[in-house]
Amino acid sequence: MGVRLSIEGSESVRLKETSITGIRFGADIPHDSNARSTDLGSTVWIEGKILAAVNGEAADDTSKLAKWSLVAAEKADCYRKVQIDVVSASQIVRQITIPNAFVVDYEEDFTDETGAGTFRLLLKQKKDKMAGLKFEGGFSGE
Amino acid sequence: MGFTLKVEGSTTIELGTTSITGVKVRTDIPQDSNARSTDLGSTVVVTGKILTAVDGDPFDGTKQLGLWALVPAENSDCYRKVTVEVIAASQVVRKYTYPNAFVVDYKETYGDVEGIGTFTLILKQKKDKMAQVTVEGGYSVG
Repeated sequence: MGVRLSIEGSESVRLKETSITGIRFGADIPHDSNARSTDLGSTVWIEGKILAAVNGEAADDTSKLAKWSLVAAEKADCYRKVQIDVVSASQIVRQITIPNAFVVDYEEDFTDETGAGTFRLLLKQKKDKMAGLKFEGGFSGE
Repeated sequence: MGFTLKVEGSTTIELGTTSITGVKVRTDIPQDSNARSTDLGSTVVVTGKILTAVDGDPFDGTKQLGLWALVPAENSDCYRKVTVEVIAASQVVRKYTYPNAFVVDYKETYGDVEGIGTFTLILKQKKDKMAQVTVEGGYSVG
């Protein structure tokens, strides 16, 4: 099972199954409501590897994630379009499109015992734009 | 995977790949926000070894880190320029620059079974100077 991430904004970010190790998708709804709440949000957590380029290939796009996490709220560029494809056996199991995603947490971790670093990125869809979030899947891809 | 740390202030502290064992960088954003927040911060955690000088080598710069952690807030020297590099396979994977970093935590641990001590340094960029933080990387070691 592989996960592919694509982010479109002032610059585009592409990360493939070689770097992404896991994702978690969640719908955020208050647990204490007596009936369906209008307070609906969505959070996506993405974890992956920070790979060093070898054989003269270009560096991976993870440094662009770090820069995105530092974009100030005053700039429109802090909201970007994120698409996540979960691919398994030539099928797109899930295709999640988050058109106005912003970063709520970003962490990078490096140690001297591993050859690759790791990153953790937590995203949310802008809450007033929840209707724009697309949750698709179950079609053949590749 | 190796790391270098450079702290420039009233004194310059340089620690290299032999002493630093890990680097964690995170972007601090409130996780309960409905849209991108202006409350943006950044934290760096550096862990490493406190090495004893042998064969007449100079002592490492870890003592200077301890002294920096004790500089009072009234003294402008408590803010220093910090550069952290992550190097793997002759590539600079990351180069973080925090021009106005201050210490929020510094710990040293020693035991009777190890030949070396360990340190943990937690730094933050001054929050009103977040725009000056830079993240670079993905180029060959020059």
